[in-house]
Amino acid sequence: MSEVAVEVRNVSKTFRIYHERRDSIYEAMAAWFSKKKYYENLEVLKNISFSVKKGEMFGIIGRNGAGKTTLLRIIAGIYKPDAGDVTVNGSLIPFLGLGTGFQIDLTAKTNVIQYGILLGFKKKEIAERVNEIMKFAELEKFADVKLKNFSSGMYARLAFSTAVQVDPDILIIDEALYAGDMAFQKKCFDTIVSFKKRGKAIILVSHNMVPIQDQCERAMFLNGGMIEAIGNPDDVVEQYKKSMFPKKE
Amino acid sequence: MASTTFRFVIFINVLFCLANIAKCLDNPNMLFNKDTSDNRVMSNSYREIWKKRGLIYNFAISDLKIRYRNSVLGFFWTFLEPLLMLTVLYVVFTNLFKSQIEHFPLYILLGIIFWNMFSRGTSMSLSSILTRSNILTQIYFPQEIPAISSTITSFLMLCFELIVFGIFMGIFQFMPPSTIILLPFILLLEFILVLGLSLPLSVLNVRYRDIQFIWTVVLQVGFFITPIFYKLSILPSYAQKILYFSPMVQIMNMVHDVIIYGKIPTSESITIAIGTTLSVFAIGYGIFLRAKRRVMEEL
Repeated sequence: MSEVAVEVRNVSKTFRIYHERRDSIYEAMAAWFSKKKYYENLEVLKNISFSVKKGEMFGIIGRNGAGKTTLLRIIAGIYKPDAGDVTVNGSLIPFLGLGTGFQIDLTAKTNVIQYGILLGFKKKEIAERVNEIMKFAELEKFADVKLKNFSSGMYARLAFSTAVQVDPDILIIDEALYAGDMAFQKKCFDTIVSFKKRGKAIILVSHNMVPIQDQCERAMFLNGGMIEAIGNPDDVVEQYKKSMFPKKE
Repeated sequence: MASTTFRFVIFINVLFCLANIAKCLDNPNMLFNKDTSDNRVMSNSYREIWKKRGLIYNFAISDLKIRYRNSVLGFFWTFLEPLLMLTVLYVVFTNLFKSQIEHFPLYILLGIIFWNMFSRGTSMSLSSILTRSNILTQIYFPQEIPAISSTITSFLMLCFELIVFGIFMGIFQFMPPSTIILLPFILLLEFILVLGLSLPLSVLNVRYRDIQFIWTVVLQVGFFITPIFYKLSILPSYAQKILYFSPMVQIMNMVHDVIIYGKIPTSESITIAIGTTLSVFAIGYGIFLRAKRRVMEEL
C-alpha cells in the first residue's frame, strides 16, 4: 500500500499577466512594433515537490490565489508545468468543477451519459450504469427531467454520483463535496472512505478545515506558490491559521 | 510551357509537405517545442486522440442534436433543412442565371453542398475551443479534439446533404456516371483540407478574437472565387492560373467532373489537389502545435 500514486517533482509554473490584453491581431501587431513589454511574468508555483501514496488522502490548503487550483490542473494534465514533472500512476479523475459539461436543456439521464463519456467511459458501459447512478443520487424520479429544472443540490448530487462510478485510481476534489444536504454529504464521505480502503489516492482542496483534519493522512499548506508546511494535518492547519490571522494569539 | 512550371511547383510542394508531415509525426517536440520537459502532453497526443475517439463522436453527434433540439420535427430537420435550402437555391439560380452549363441545377447544388462543408466545418471549428472552454479547463483531453469533432459534424451534414442530392438526381432523372466511385477519395481530401484549417483556427481564435470576423470575409471571398455557380473557364486566364492552386477550386472541379460529367480528373489536377491540401494541413498543423502550448491559460 505504500506505492506512490502521484509524484510531483520540482514543479514551477509561470503565468503571463497582460498589462493590456491583446485580443486582436491589430493590437498584437501594434505591440510588436512598439516593442514594449506588454506582459509580466507571475510565478504561480515555485519548485513544488510532494507525493501522494495509494490509499492516502492528501489535503491542500492555502489562501485564494495561492496556486491550489493551478497545481491541481497541472496534476490533471490540463496545464503543463514550465519546469519539473508530474508522474501519475493509474487513472485520474479531476473533480475540479462539478457537472462540467452538463447541458441544462438535456434530461438528467442524457447528461449522465454525456458526462460519463467525458470522463472516459464507453457509451455502452455508462448506459448500463445509468439506473445505478440515478439510484445513488436518489434522483430516480427525475431521470427524464431536464436539468434546467434541477436545484443546485440535485445537480451536484448527479455529478458526484456519475463521477464516482468511473472508479478512478486517483480522485482530485476541489471543494466539491459541500453541495447537497447533510445526508448526501455523509454518503459522499462514506464513498470516499471506501475509496481509501480500496487503495485509491485522494487529493482534496478545501477551505473547510474539518475534513482536512478529520480525513486526511497528510496535508500541505501552499503560500504564494511555495510549500509553507507539509505533514501532519493538525500542525499544517495550525500554521495556516497562524498565517491567516497573525495578530491573533 | 505553363504545364512544366506547374509540375515543377507541384513537385516542390509535395516534397516540402511530405517532409514537414514526416517531421511533425515523428517528433513534434523537436520542431515546435523548445522545452522537452513535457513529454506527457505532447508525445502521447496521437495515441490519446485515438483513445478518446468515443468522445470525438459524442461531441460531433451532440453538436448535430443540439442544432435541432426543441424542434418538432427533430431529426428530420437534418434532411429537411438542406432540402428546403437546395430548393430555394435551385429556383433562384436557375431563374436568375441563364447559364450555358450542362445540368446546371445539379452543378450548382453540388457546388453549394461541398462549399457548405468547407465553410461550416471551418467556422464551427473556429469557435469550438471557446465554446467548450468550461470543459477544457476542468477535464484534460487533447486540444485537437474540438476541431476534429466539429469537422466531423460538418462532414456528417455533408453526407445528409448528399442523400438529399440523390433525391434531386431522381427528380431530374439523372443517372450518375460510373466515375462516382471516386467520390470517397474527394471526400477524404476535403476532410483533410477542412481539418488542416480548423486546427489552427480553433486555437488562434482563443488569442486573437478578431480571427472570426476575418474568417467570415475570407469565406465570402472564397465563395465567389470558387467555381460554384460558374465554370472556371469564364474567368480571365491569369485568374485561372492563380485559382488553379486553390485546393477548393480543384476539389470543386473534381466533384463536378466525377458526379455529373463522368470524367476522370486529370493527373495534373489530382496532384495539385493532393499537394495543396497536404501543404495546407502540414502548415496548419504546425501552427496549431505552436499555438496550443499556452492556449489553456488564455481561456
